[in-house]
This record gives sequence, C-alpha cells and structure tokens, in this order.
Amino acid sequence: MSSTTESRAAAQPAASFGGMQARSSAALNDTVRVAVRNLDFFYGSNKALKGINFDLPDKQVTGMIGPSGCGKSTLLRVLNRMYSLYPGQKAVGEVVMDGKNILDPDVDINELRARVGMVFQKPTPFPMTIYENISFGVKLHERLSKPQMDERVEWALSRAALWGEVKDRLNTSAMGLSGGQQQRLCIARTIAVRPEVILFDEPTSALDPISTLKIEELIDELKRDFTIAIVTHNMQQAARCADQVAFFYLGELIEVAPAAQLFTAPKHQRTQEYITGRFG
Amino acid sequence: MSTTTLPALSPVKDMATARALGRRRKRADALLRWFCLAATALGLIFLASILATLLWRGLGALDWAVFTREFEPTTYGDPDAPRGGLAHAIVGSLIQTALGTLIGTPIGLLVGTYLAEYARGTALGNAVRFVSDVLLSAPSILIGLFVYQSVVLPMGGFSGWAGALALAIIVIPVVVRTTEDMLTLIPNTLREAVVGLGAPRWKMITLVAYRAALPGIVTGVLLAIARITGETAPLLLTSFGNSVLSTDLGRSMASLPIAIYQQANSGFPDLIAIAWAGALIITFGVLAINVVARLVLRARL
Amino acid sequence: MSHAAMLEAPAPPTRRPVGGAGDRVFEWLCRGAGILVLLLLGAIILTLFLGGLPAFREFGAGFLTSTAWNPVEGRENYGALVPMLGTVISAILAILLAVPVAFGIAFFLTELAPPWLRRPVGTAIELLAAIPSIIYGMWGLFVLVPIVQQYIQMTLGEALGGLPLIGFLLASNSFTGTSIFTASLVLAIMILPFIAATMRDVFEQVPPVYKESAYGLGSTRWEVMRGVVLPYTRVSVVGGIMLGLGRALGETMAVTFVIGNANRMPTSLFDPSTTIASIVAMEFPESLMGSLKQSSLLALGFLLFVISFIVLAISRFLLRSRLKA
Repeated sequence: MSSTTESRAAAQPAASFGGMQARSSAALNDTVRVAVRNLDFFYGSNKALKGINFDLPDKQVTGMIGPSGCGKSTLLRVLNRMYSLYPGQKAVGEVVMDGKNILDPDVDINELRARVGMVFQKPTPFPMTIYENISFGVKLHERLSKPQMDERVEWALSRAALWGEVKDRLNTSAMGLSGGQQQRLCIARTIAVRPEVILFDEPTSALDPISTLKIEELIDELKRDFTIAIVTHNMQQAARCADQVAFFYLGELIEVAPAAQLFTAPKHQRTQEYITGRFG
Repeated sequence: MSTTTLPALSPVKDMATARALGRRRKRADALLRWFCLAATALGLIFLASILATLLWRGLGALDWAVFTREFEPTTYGDPDAPRGGLAHAIVGSLIQTALGTLIGTPIGLLVGTYLAEYARGTALGNAVRFVSDVLLSAPSILIGLFVYQSVVLPMGGFSGWAGALALAIIVIPVVVRTTEDMLTLIPNTLREAVVGLGAPRWKMITLVAYRAALPGIVTGVLLAIARITGETAPLLLTSFGNSVLSTDLGRSMASLPIAIYQQANSGFPDLIAIAWAGALIITFGVLAINVVARLVLRARL
Repeated sequence: MSHAAMLEAPAPPTRRPVGGAGDRVFEWLCRGAGILVLLLLGAIILTLFLGGLPAFREFGAGFLTSTAWNPVEGRENYGALVPMLGTVISAILAILLAVPVAFGIAFFLTELAPPWLRRPVGTAIELLAAIPSIIYGMWGLFVLVPIVQQYIQMTLGEALGGLPLIGFLLASNSFTGTSIFTASLVLAIMILPFIAATMRDVFEQVPPVYKESAYGLGSTRWEVMRGVVLPYTRVSVVGGIMLGLGRALGETMAVTFVIGNANRMPTSLFDPSTTIASIVAMEFPESLMGSLKQSSLLALGFLLFVISFIVLAISRFLLRSRLKA
C-alpha cells in the first residue's frame, strides 16, 4: 500500500495546486503554514499513521476525509500535540511550523497550543460564565487590563458571530447556551487566544442542520485570518468548506488535491470508491 | 438435522399439574414480597425508633443551659445545685472537627487528584487507591491508638491537637474517594479543550476540573464532616475529654461524643438527660449535614 | 459580522511563556500526598506492632490462646482469646441477622417498590448509616437492652434452652440484658444500610435484558431473582457482605454500651463479653503509659488490624468488577 502511494505521488503533476502538493520538494513555499513530513504515529505498538507527507496552505481551509479509524483525527491531534496527554501515544517524523519541528522535545507545548487552536466534536463550554470562558485562554498567555480584556472578548465573540446573541448575558453560565451557541462560544474561545492555525475535529457532528450551516459560514469567514484544518465525516461539508481536501485510508494519506478536483476527478481508485459511497 | 425425526411440539397436556405448579410458584412469590416489605418496614422502624427516642428523651432536656453551661456534677439529692450543660463539649467538638477537616481536606483533595489525573492505571496509583480504601474502612479506634502512640506519648499527654489529627486521618480517605470519583466523571474532551488553549495541566485541573467537580467535592467534604462529628473512639485515646471549656489545643479537650459517652454511663438520671440532649444535637446536626450534602450533589445533576 | 469587521483586530501576539515548572510542582504535590497516605498506613501498622511487641515477647504465642486478664501488679497476665472470640462471634452473628433483612430491603428497592417510593425509602435507609455509632450505643442501651432482657432472652431461653447441642447457647445465668447477642443485634442494625446499599447497587447493574428474558419465560420475581439476578451478582453480593463484616469487626462505641464488658469466657450468647475494640476503648485511656497492659492492648489492636485488613482485602477483591464499572 505504502509503495503504491509513493509511486502515485511521484507520478502526480507538480503544478496542480501551488505549494500544497503532497510530495512537493522539501523547500517550503511561503504559502505553506504547516508542513508534515514522514510522520508515523503509534498507539502503543499499533501504527495508526504511516509516512504522512502533507501541507496546510496558509489562510486556506484543508478538509480531511476518510472512513472511521483512517487516522484523520489522529493527524489533527498531532498538529497541536494533544496526544501527549496520553502515555503510550507517540509521533515520529516532522511537523514543521515556521521552520521549527514542533515534535521536538524542547518545544513549549503550551505555547504551541496557543498558536494551534482546536475546536472539538462536542461543544465543551467550561463550567463558568460566558465572559470567563473567553477570557480564560487569553489570561493564560497575556496580561490584559480590564478594558483590553473586554475589547478582546467582544472581538472574539463578534468574530464567532455570537456577540449579538450573548452581549446582554456575558455573566451568565455558558452551560445555558444552546448546542450551536456553545460550539460558536468554543470557536470564540479559541480565536480569542489569536492562534495561527485552527483545527476543527468534526465540529458539527453533534449539531442540528441550521447550527451546522452557521458554523460552516463562520469557517469560511475565519479563513481570511486563520489557517484551518477540518476533519469531517460529511463529504458535502468538505466540498462546501474546504479549498483543498485530503483523503485518508487505513492510516495513509491516499490523495490530496483542490476540493473541486478531488471530488470530480479523483486520481486514486480508493478515493473514487469512497466519494461515491462504495465503502466507508 | 432432519425435522421429521423430531417429535412434534404440543402444548402442555397436563394442565392440572401446570396449574398446581403455578399456584406454588405464586405462593413463593407472594411470600417473598411480604418478606421484603417486612424487611424494609423493619429498617424504617429502626430509624423511626432511634429518632423518636432521641426526640422524646432529648427534647425534654434541651434548654439554653445545655448550650451555655459547662459540666457540673450530678444534682442528685441536692435540688439547689447548679445544672450543668455541654458548652465545653460543643466548643471542643467544633474546634477539633474544624481543624481535622482543614488538615485532612487538602491532603485528600491532592491524593484524589493524583489518582484521577496522574496515576490512572499505574502501580503506584493502584497501591494508593487500595491503601486509601483500607483507611476508609479501618476501625477508627485503631487510628486513635496510632495517634496515641505517635503524638500523645511523645507530647506527654492528651491534647486537642492529637484529637484533630486523628479526625484528619479519618477525613482523608473520604475526600480521596469522592474527589477521585467526581474527577473521573469529567469527560476527557473538557480536559482536552482546556489544554488545547495552551493551559498547563495544573491550571487545567485547578481552574476548570475542580470547578466542574465542585459540587461532588463539596459533598465529599460534608460527608467527611458528618462522619467525624460523631466519632467517639479515636477521641477517647487522643483528646480524652475535659469537663471545662478550654480552647487550649495543647491540653486535653472536651468533645460532644465523649461527653455523651461519659454522662450516659454515669448512672445519674440528670446527667443521662443531658447526654440525651447532646445525642439529639449531634444526630440532627449530622443528619442535616447529610441532607445538605445530597442537595448539593443533586443541584448539579 | 459587519460589527466584527469594524472592530480592529488585536495587535500581533506577544505571549508570555507559560512554563512547565508549575506542572512539575503540582504533580509532585499530588504524588507526594499519595505517598503520604501509603506511609500513613505503614506507620499505623508499624506503630501497633511495635507497641504490642513487649506483650508478644512476654506471652509468646500463648497470648492468642490465653483467657487471662489480670492487671494486678506482679501477677500481670494478659491473653487475647476472649476479646478475639467476642469480636468474631458478635460480628458473624450480626452478619447472619443483617443479611436476610438487607437482601429484603435491596430487593424491595430494586424490584418491588413503586418508583415514587424508591427514593425516599432509599434515602431513609441511607440515613440509618449516617447516625453516629455512639447514638446506636445509647439507643441500644436504653431501648434494646430492656427488650432483649424482658422478651427475647426469656422467651428463647425457656423455649429452646433445653434443646440438645445448641440449647446451652441460649441459656444464661446473666439477666442484665447486656450480652453478645445484644451487641450483635445493634451491630446488625448498624451494618444493615451498608449491605443493603451495596446489594441494591449491584442488583441495579444487572442488564435489564437478562431480567426481561427471564420474565418473558413467565418467571415470577422471586424466580428471576434466584435464577438470574443472584447468580449474576453473587460475587459482588458476597463482597458487600464482607464490607459489612469489616465494619462490624471494628465497631467500638455501640458495642461498648451493650456488650457488658466482661473479660471472661462466655458460655451463652446471652452472657456478657467484650470485643477487641471495646476493651481498648474501656481500658486503654486509664492504663499507665508504657505499661504491659497498654502493650497488650496495642497487641490486640494489631490483631484487630490484621483481621479487618484481611476481610477488607477480600471484600475489595470480590467487589473489583463493581468498582471498575
């Protein structure tokens, strides 16, 4: 399998999509925000990612699709080293951001996570007020005066399209918000820290269609300022939101291409089968 | 597997036998129901009897003197002698319970945090959990013996500090248990969300996890307070009791359970009446703490 | 969104390093507290053993089999047999009395009671567990002792005292009402809520589909209990009973009030006797610091610890599946 991918990648035309060609040369194009090189991932002795090479283009949305257990969420959790919470999980290879391999042991993991924010499958409001939810992350990394903090909270909530709905109840518990509002609160909380990259792990799988639509519009709006990676089970969502799409299967990156190309003219048999619903 | 070799199934032919069996089965079932009902009634009768006895014997003896006066010898045969109270014991109990809780709670909280956040599945974690469970159910008089040997003997006498320390040792495993249980209930996604913002782990635990688990932790502390409020045996060997009001933790100190124990066994009706008043105070205090603890927990669920 | 566009984006980040020192300090604080608990139990065992060492040295293995308890100076002689027997007999009798009633309560609460009744009755039974042991002692002394004295002991003694083999257990020359039997009765009531709560919890863990398939065959509730629930929960139920046994073995104040505190060999269940916890509570505070008597009491404490530790370890082992769930 691995050798097939290898040869396929080598055979791909180099001009297809600027710098985010999966096997592009080692010299990084300045439009690449995060470059993944020869990444392997282990749950104990179980190899969950095999030789991944992959770029996140700056200020674009990268969709990651594939059947359950294909490694797409695992890859996402490597990008902010979330896996290091759990003993026995290990990543080998390079994930380069600003010329620095973030897998190196000397990287300040907390600073990394401030630069690479994450939004989760289920909304995870903290057990505190709406205001405190937003200011919590900011306080970890910056010392702001009260007016500065007020401004930051308003900015983050506005960017997450939530300000109008909650501005009169900032000091009430975040637990009282609806599911869709909670998820937008989590997005606001993430962008309040001003990351460079935002990772979305199936952010709408627990939401109703209207809330889903709002989140998708929001992602589209956020890519003006942020580099975004989104894992999704929903191929329509990937087609709607993503600029480039990567297809994973059994721990390998099978194909990465501009969304339109991947969905209309996939190069790989597996991709073809997956997007036409023949498995997964 | 040819079906032709199997005899055809037919409905039960011997209906009389079936009915007789059914009657016996129903009788056994009815018997069980009556037994269970009786057992539950018995349990409730015990509770009612204890509470009624306390009210009946305790209310009659409960007056301001109980709260304001110290111990006095029996008025038996001398109706003009001053009547005693339990002020010394109430103050002593409050001091030792408060100190025991203040010492035991932080330790228990840290141990519970260690078990839930750092030591899941590790050998040291399992050992600590087992030992904490042993402490939780260990006879409390043995904790009294331990504190006697390690504090009272070296200090040369009974003391309020020794009593508070013994109570603290009883508080620790109760708080460990509830803290670990409550932190374990917190979904990992919440932990990841906090860490994902760049929070170091200790801030994740102290600022968010504790907050999410707060009602459960408070409930655990309240239950621990309820438990040590009624503890008698370990205090007998540590703070021993005192018949006058004293706030000197370096010397023997009175406590409500000890005062009740001594006066109930005195044989004098007037002292026994005061013991009942003390028993009423302590029981309803403990039950009230229990009810509050349940309400705190329910408010969250 | 237009409002957001009006707001100026914050200046480029100037973050302060979060640093990992706090993490290391806090983790070691937690681990240190855990190790402290380990050391605490070790210190308790060691203290009791060292404190009892002079008595073990003086009396040797005979300490375990001797019924002596003589504090007179010069003829000091102490043995552990009477309090040890008293401890074990009263605890086992308490279990025998409590288990059927606890089972009845647990079965009532899980299967029979209408849902609206379950919570209040369950809470009431749990409150029984919250009452301090000294209150059980007083209630036992002033309420239960007269009842045992006037009704139970006389009735049983007259009706069954003549029976061969077990008759002697019920015939006593002591008519004070304070006896092993009374202590067992109080202990049984005290451990009742613990056993009932454990049984209720494990009964509730039986997957409904098991019970439903048995009901589907036309089984009665008793048949479902005997055929499905009890076999499914057997190990945990025994674990819960052992937990109750552990409590009964170590209970002090309630027993001290009603057992009569007589350090002599009982011949009947209605004779007064003593338990380890009770004799320590009665005699330790009044004995001389560092005396052989104190050492003997510490040795008894060590024995009690060993017995309860074994019972607790077994209980935990049997309940491990429930603890995991």
